[in-house]
Amino acid sequence: MANVTITVNGETRVASVPPETTLLKLLRDNFNLTGAKLGCDVGDCGACTVIVDGKTVNACLMLAGQADGRDVLTIEGLASMDRLHPIQKAFEDHASLQCGFCGPGVILSAKALLDEVPDPTAQQIRDALSGNLCRCTGYTKMIEAIQEAAHSLHDKAA
Amino acid sequence: MAKKTKVAEKKIPLKTWLEADETLRLPAIVPPVTYPIETLVPEVRHQTPAVGQRATRPDGRLHGLGQTKYIDDLAFPGMLYARIKRAGIAAARIKSVDTRAAEAMPGVMAVLTGREIPVNSFGPSLKDQPVLADDFVFHAGDGVAAVAAVTEQIANDALDKIKVEYEPLPAVFDPVEAMQEDAPRVHAPNSNIYATKLIKKGDIEKGFAESDHIFEGSYRTQMVEHVPLEPHASIAVWDPNGRVSIYSTLGRITLGRADIARTLKLPINRVRVIATIVGGNFGGKNEISQEPVLALLSKKTGRPVKGTFTRTEEFIATTTRHPIIMDYKTGVMKDGRLVARKVRLVLDGGAYCSWSETTLGKACILAAGPYNIDNLHAEAFVVYTNKTMTGAMRGFGAPQVCFAYESHMDDIAEALKIDPLDIRLLNAFEEGSPSPTGQVLHSVVVKDSLRTAAERFGWKEPRS
Amino acid sequence: MKRRGRGIACMWYPIGFTVAANPSAAVVKVNEDGTATLLTGTVETGQGSLTILGQIAAEELGIATDDVHVVSADTDTTPMDTGAIASRTTYVTGNAVRLAAEKAKAILFDVAAPMLRVKPDQLEARDRKIQVKGYPQRYLPIGEVANHAQVVMGEPAIGAASFNPATVALDPETGQGKPFSTYVYATQIAEVDVDDETGEVDVIRIVAAHDCGTAINPMLVEGQIEGGISMGIGFALQEEILFDAAGRQINPNLTNYIMPTSLDMPDIEVNIVKSYDVTGPFGAKGVGEPTAVPTAAAILNAIHNAVGVRITSLPATAEKILAAIKAKRAQEPKRIAAAR
Repeated sequence: MANVTITVNGETRVASVPPETTLLKLLRDNFNLTGAKLGCDVGDCGACTVIVDGKTVNACLMLAGQADGRDVLTIEGLASMDRLHPIQKAFEDHASLQCGFCGPGVILSAKALLDEVPDPTAQQIRDALSGNLCRCTGYTKMIEAIQEAAHSLHDKAA
Repeated sequence: MAKKTKVAEKKIPLKTWLEADETLRLPAIVPPVTYPIETLVPEVRHQTPAVGQRATRPDGRLHGLGQTKYIDDLAFPGMLYARIKRAGIAAARIKSVDTRAAEAMPGVMAVLTGREIPVNSFGPSLKDQPVLADDFVFHAGDGVAAVAAVTEQIANDALDKIKVEYEPLPAVFDPVEAMQEDAPRVHAPNSNIYATKLIKKGDIEKGFAESDHIFEGSYRTQMVEHVPLEPHASIAVWDPNGRVSIYSTLGRITLGRADIARTLKLPINRVRVIATIVGGNFGGKNEISQEPVLALLSKKTGRPVKGTFTRTEEFIATTTRHPIIMDYKTGVMKDGRLVARKVRLVLDGGAYCSWSETTLGKACILAAGPYNIDNLHAEAFVVYTNKTMTGAMRGFGAPQVCFAYESHMDDIAEALKIDPLDIRLLNAFEEGSPSPTGQVLHSVVVKDSLRTAAERFGWKEPRS
Repeated sequence: MKRRGRGIACMWYPIGFTVAANPSAAVVKVNEDGTATLLTGTVETGQGSLTILGQIAAEELGIATDDVHVVSADTDTTPMDTGAIASRTTYVTGNAVRLAAEKAKAILFDVAAPMLRVKPDQLEARDRKIQVKGYPQRYLPIGEVANHAQVVMGEPAIGAASFNPATVALDPETGQGKPFSTYVYATQIAEVDVDDETGEVDVIRIVAAHDCGTAINPMLVEGQIEGGISMGIGFALQEEILFDAAGRQINPNLTNYIMPTSLDMPDIEVNIVKSYDVTGPFGAKGVGEPTAVPTAAAILNAIHNAVGVRITSLPATAEKILAAIKAKRAQEPKRIAAAR
């Protein structure tokens, strides 16, 4: 068994799991954080995207042991007790999510982008989302929402 | 050093829960935040009148928070995990299924084969699809046995231990070949052509005779899959009164309930089907797949059983879009008016009927395009092949025939040196036009859509 | 070098099942404060049907979208529904919802009429009020009427209804009949760049003009069109399930089954064509599948316009296009390119 200590959404969690357990299974089954989804389990679809030490990662491709000692942000860590994160708010206002299954992964890819590039172009947004497959929306309203979120994050910081 | 992620501000002080647990006896695993109570409802949802509002979606908020519970996010106490063994051979007779080694594995709680299904056939129109193959395999993705185990990993490993002996049978993969008299019969003794449709209007030969020009074109489309991001998933749970509740990704729960009741030989009121918000359907989740299997495994073990398809199973064991071979022959006057059209469609119907009859009907009715054509002859055939079953997929044959009739239209326009927009405006339906089946059409706006799109695109503007 | 082309495709698509009965039933319950609950057997698969059906119920009752809570998809508690298929939800289930809301509203009108000293057929429901037609100054808040109905008169405002589109069976010999109650129409125009040295296609922009009758929620209609176009692009250029000689799939995974990502999407301009269908709820028809129908045709016509080759089998991969370009060049006599 592998013993892992991971900071998830700001809280330290510990678990003891078989060594082949992926970070995705750890988050979903052990920590009850079902926001990250299993779409293909081999890193093709991006539905399991989480942010590890500031960079987006396909959680199905990372072993729980590899996440030991690291800082993980999942979709459940974005909103605070009394408000949505601006990306979540913009996605809601623009109806950017339809079935919602790809949503957590897309929103975290967007967050990682906006942390690095506060005012991205549409092409930069497309590049950031290129690892997240979406079958419902055609991505158009996601790009609009991310642009709006960039502005409102910029206004908050100003 | 990697940049630290900025996490949302929390009111909970940052210390390990283990420390807190020692003194306060708090639960070790903290449930995720299901709020914020962003009770601020967007103003647009408070507007009257409601129709025409760009209202936001309440489920959209849940999606953004990652709080939507899809089937795979649900868990029941004592739940087992099921997996289905896939045939891997396109056409065969099953000689024997030996599940003893799988059953003996620690952690495997039950095994199921096709023989144990009370009524082993279903289908939206022809009931030609087995829940689990019992005597014959008709395509490589057919399920031949199922296991329920305490973890998914054990269920996976158990599949390898199930030994199935096959007697390979001749198979046919090309629909045109399958239409021949001497082709192997997929569902012997029935013909491979399992449904046909014919639409006739006016006098096709006279129409061709009167045309100034005749154009022909042949088109074909490929097999594609819906690829919903969420794979098919279900959970079966029984209660002590012999009622089974099936949580499922089914898009048609009334039909699903009827099919589950029928295959399990239960009265309909003993079956409850609950669908969650589904992660994409597009036509592929409109009939039962593993639900009766999970129900029987659950009955055998006395525990809830969950089954989720892998992405591979999504491709090989669920329905796909019909590949269609389309032959068009159109008679045209020199001013571009269409006067006669003959269409022949051959649909690759896969291993089972599924939604093929509906697809056949729609493809045939729509095949002439939204155009006024007095003389029409459209015939369509759907043919069994030993490939993945073809069923409903966004459009029921329309995307395929639209590709054909619009490519054909552009070829006609080019030959007659008429602008593609103008030839369509000349021929398109209007309010009150008769359809290919003689129906008087109302609320017809195809010309409006052509003109709007052309104007917004700048169709008539000179090219840069 | 890249060659630009444009292609147009129009289409028609029916709403509902071909001839066969495909009913939907719905129940609308008005609560004592004038908000409402809608029970529907349909399943939300991402298209936003629950939001739309809530808007239809709200419109009929004269209240706001947020005043209606939608409960769905449980065969024990929600009434039957033929399902989210054939683009039928807005039209068929929507009609059932409207009829159910109308019945609940009739109970409210019966209760409100003596309170407002008029006959029930003089009343209308608007802006969360039950008011007199032509004399809106005389009104009661809907909550007051609903409370009075349930708590004082003992007549809770509940309405149940079903709807099935009117069709005529097709003659088996000639196929003549009325298979569907209504159809929608659309045009998409695609602009592409085709690289004549590699055969690769870049879809630059698509202008779509879609008919959906009344757009109950234009934002969700736009989402459906954008999503449908993405499926159409995959169908036209990328997706294909491949089989080996033994009938087994070669690429049953997302690594080798190519489908559109954010990088493949063009600029999309959506236009909703003005139309009204008297047989639909508030004039609405439907939109789910039609959005994916003309895209491939428009793109293939644009490729033809760009490089003069007619690809007759999908998907139009770079290999096919390049082979067709080369074959065309081999047939043409050599000549010096004219100045554009």
